[in-house]
Amino acid sequence: MSVLHRVRLPVGATVLVEVGHSVEPAEVLATRRPASGGMSVPIASRLRRSAADAADLLAVRPGTALEAGDRIADDGHGREVLAPQACLFLGYDLDDGSALVAPLGPTEPILGHVRGEVTSVTPDAIEIRVAGALVTGVGGSGKAVHGELRMAVHEPGDELRAGGIDVSATGRILVGGSRASAEALTRARAMGVAGIVVGGVLDKELRDFEAAQRRRREVGGARGDLAIVIVEGFGKVGIGAELFAWFRSHEGRVASVFGATARVYVYEADAPPPRRILARPGNRVLALRRPFAGIGGELLRVLDQPHANGAGVVSRSALVRFEDGRTAVVPLANLEATGDLSGG
Amino acid sequence: MSDVSTELALLVDVGSAWAKAGVIGRVRGRWRLVTQVAQPTAWGAAELRRGLIDRLVAAGDPRLANEWDALLDGATRIECHTAHNPGRLAVVAVSREVSGSSARRAAEAAGWQVIEAVTLDDGRTLADRLSRLQSAEVDAWLVAGGFDDGRSPRAMEAAALVASARLPDSGPVIWAGSALLGDDVALLFEEGAVSTVANPRPDARREETGPLRDHLQAVLRAIVADEDERHLASVAFPRAIATMASDGGLRILGIDVGARGAVHAVAEPDGTSAVRVYSTGGLAGAVDVPGAAARVTRIAGDAGDEAAVADTLQTLRARPTTVPQLAEELSATQAAVRMLIAGMVEDGPPEAVDLVVGAGRTIAAAPHPGAAARMLLDGVRPIGVTQLAVDAGSVLGPLGSLPDDEIHEGITLLADDLVVPLGTSVVCRGGSAGQLAMRVTVHRPGWPSHAPIEVRVGQLQVVPLAAGQEAELLIEPGPGITLGASRRSPRIQARATGGAVGIMLDGRGVPIALPRRGDDRRAVLAAWHDALSRDLDRVT
Repeated sequence: MSVLHRVRLPVGATVLVEVGHSVEPAEVLATRRPASGGMSVPIASRLRRSAADAADLLAVRPGTALEAGDRIADDGHGREVLAPQACLFLGYDLDDGSALVAPLGPTEPILGHVRGEVTSVTPDAIEIRVAGALVTGVGGSGKAVHGELRMAVHEPGDELRAGGIDVSATGRILVGGSRASAEALTRARAMGVAGIVVGGVLDKELRDFEAAQRRRREVGGARGDLAIVIVEGFGKVGIGAELFAWFRSHEGRVASVFGATARVYVYEADAPPPRRILARPGNRVLALRRPFAGIGGELLRVLDQPHANGAGVVSRSALVRFEDGRTAVVPLANLEATGDLSGG
Repeated sequence: MSDVSTELALLVDVGSAWAKAGVIGRVRGRWRLVTQVAQPTAWGAAELRRGLIDRLVAAGDPRLANEWDALLDGATRIECHTAHNPGRLAVVAVSREVSGSSARRAAEAAGWQVIEAVTLDDGRTLADRLSRLQSAEVDAWLVAGGFDDGRSPRAMEAAALVASARLPDSGPVIWAGSALLGDDVALLFEEGAVSTVANPRPDARREETGPLRDHLQAVLRAIVADEDERHLASVAFPRAIATMASDGGLRILGIDVGARGAVHAVAEPDGTSAVRVYSTGGLAGAVDVPGAAARVTRIAGDAGDEAAVADTLQTLRARPTTVPQLAEELSATQAAVRMLIAGMVEDGPPEAVDLVVGAGRTIAAAPHPGAAARMLLDGVRPIGVTQLAVDAGSVLGPLGSLPDDEIHEGITLLADDLVVPLGTSVVCRGGSAGQLAMRVTVHRPGWPSHAPIEVRVGQLQVVPLAAGQEAELLIEPGPGITLGASRRSPRIQARATGGAVGIMLDGRGVPIALPRRGDDRRAVLAAWHDALSRDLDRVT
């Protein structure tokens, strides 16, 4: 099983890999020199011209990347202004006759955060074929990280609690259950956990955690990133039983987690349990909305007529026997078939 | 084949999350909506067809029970759909509040999805701005800044940021800044990359976003050129509204709130219209409205606490094909729609309109017509006397996709089922809480006269008036109260048409003022909810 992963390249990046290269998660695929703040370079005074006259003597246009020593302006009579260092020329101020440039900082690496083979290189992206499986979530937070998968709860409906996270989780990708509280997320970050994959998170707790992360970064106290991927829904929502079992069967494998884009690559893994949005009688199903969100069951039959649910919304509905013993009529749109999809 | 003759057409509206299909047929010489279904788009066309046939078998002519499949094959198919690829835009401007705000609103109203917005006063470092722009994957770049009488170096700096961040030949650049800088900006990019449009902020006092919006719409059309424009829902729905307006000699506001995007169209009696398309203005975008969870919690009253509402809003984004199962989730969803509509109307509130038409599943398929009416009433605040209706059959989009020479015929033929009338609203503003907002006498021909109804500021009252019925209204506004238009007489006469809700006498003001105390607010919201949710059996 393999999937394609795309690494976006910023303008001006220098690519270090070619098609066919095998790359590791921590490998540098390209480098860039980001701009590091603006500075003024006097032009008119050095050319001994007025600010307006000096504008006509500029040798570069805004947006031009310059190396140290490249000419910014010259008067044709030996006076010239050179770039003091590698920079981007951003503009010329007609009031004071100075140029605004953005010096280019030290070279920074661009990592792919995935293991695989480079299949394509273009000016704006590198594509890598990843030998593994991709699980896509419904939300997430944080940058890209990688580490070993580790189950942090016993059951898909269990909460990931702060007390269950210790130093042995450092550098790992934890698979939680139905919820990770802000306290658990903070603890995970403090313990150096690389990433968390969880069924659900309360949006408010996730935002509170992100805000705390931002503040820590602003004061320079944050080191490393904790990536979070939510695979089922917002609120207290368990991971589907089949998907949870799949993660359990791959415990110990390396995974890459992309928080912001809610993607989890698990290497050397078989395909995750299939999901289908239109469930049929006999299918194992997972409910997507409260009050059954994250609970699995069996679809017994689809009702002949549209049904008004508890909120009064009329829709095609199905009778579902949930694994917690309840039987209920659920809108068909709120169910996903999961696991063996041959039923019906 | 049966010897029963049928004339059928299939109307299909394929949205980003839900697909709606209706069968219209000629019944006793008139075209009527025979049946309709809605389902998640991802279920596919075959399932949609099967759903339609199941309904037709259950409700249609029994002689045709085995014929529907063949009949649908021969039916004319009229279809519209949501744009497959919404245009992605980066906006770079000098100031957040002036050029940036105008540029962004024009872009969003033109249907663009603003992926990145950078202004020179956004508090970020220059390095951060450059980094964000260099990472942005967009289809076009919009640059704005500077007034028309100057050559602002800051505006050139904004253009230079784009020149530094954009790969050559990677999407058009639209310059909407100082007119004096157009040529200079064009020199920063490869030939043909820059198009110049009238500055939406030509000076400090004026804002004219129309030309920019029109230009952005044209650029967007060119980018999504592989899609037949007429069949795009964002084009078809306004066309249908414009046709209704010209056919009926009415001024109509059409509001379509979908799962992903939203459309706001004001059509004039002469058939012209002003359309704003919000590519992220639908339910999925509600979570991104600043302070959304708090606002929705506040205006819903019965949607649970803010944390629960935040989860619901995220669910609307993450699971757009699902439906609320709990009353509080439905309440949050409907309140989110009210908030989204209010946001659209803020961009340019229309003057009084004759008719407001609501579309989109949450409005048009609301479990109770009172809820649909409330979404339109609270969101739009249509001051004066206005008819309200919903596109319950989701027919306006498909009909709006008909060619120019057929659209009037299509709208006219289906007149009986085009929209479902909710009734007539009378919305006033002004005054202070508790004082008389208006005194309304409702006279129905052939019915005994009743005493005038007194509506106080902050109150909402509903007078039953069934669909198809009409009534004369005599409205006496209270002191300091206005219904919009200037008047010489202390009394206003108006005609009201009935609907699933009736006549809505709304003294809640514009905008609606809510009590600060939570308990008071919830009590007031519950009273409004009750007023609009009265048992339909009582509507005569």
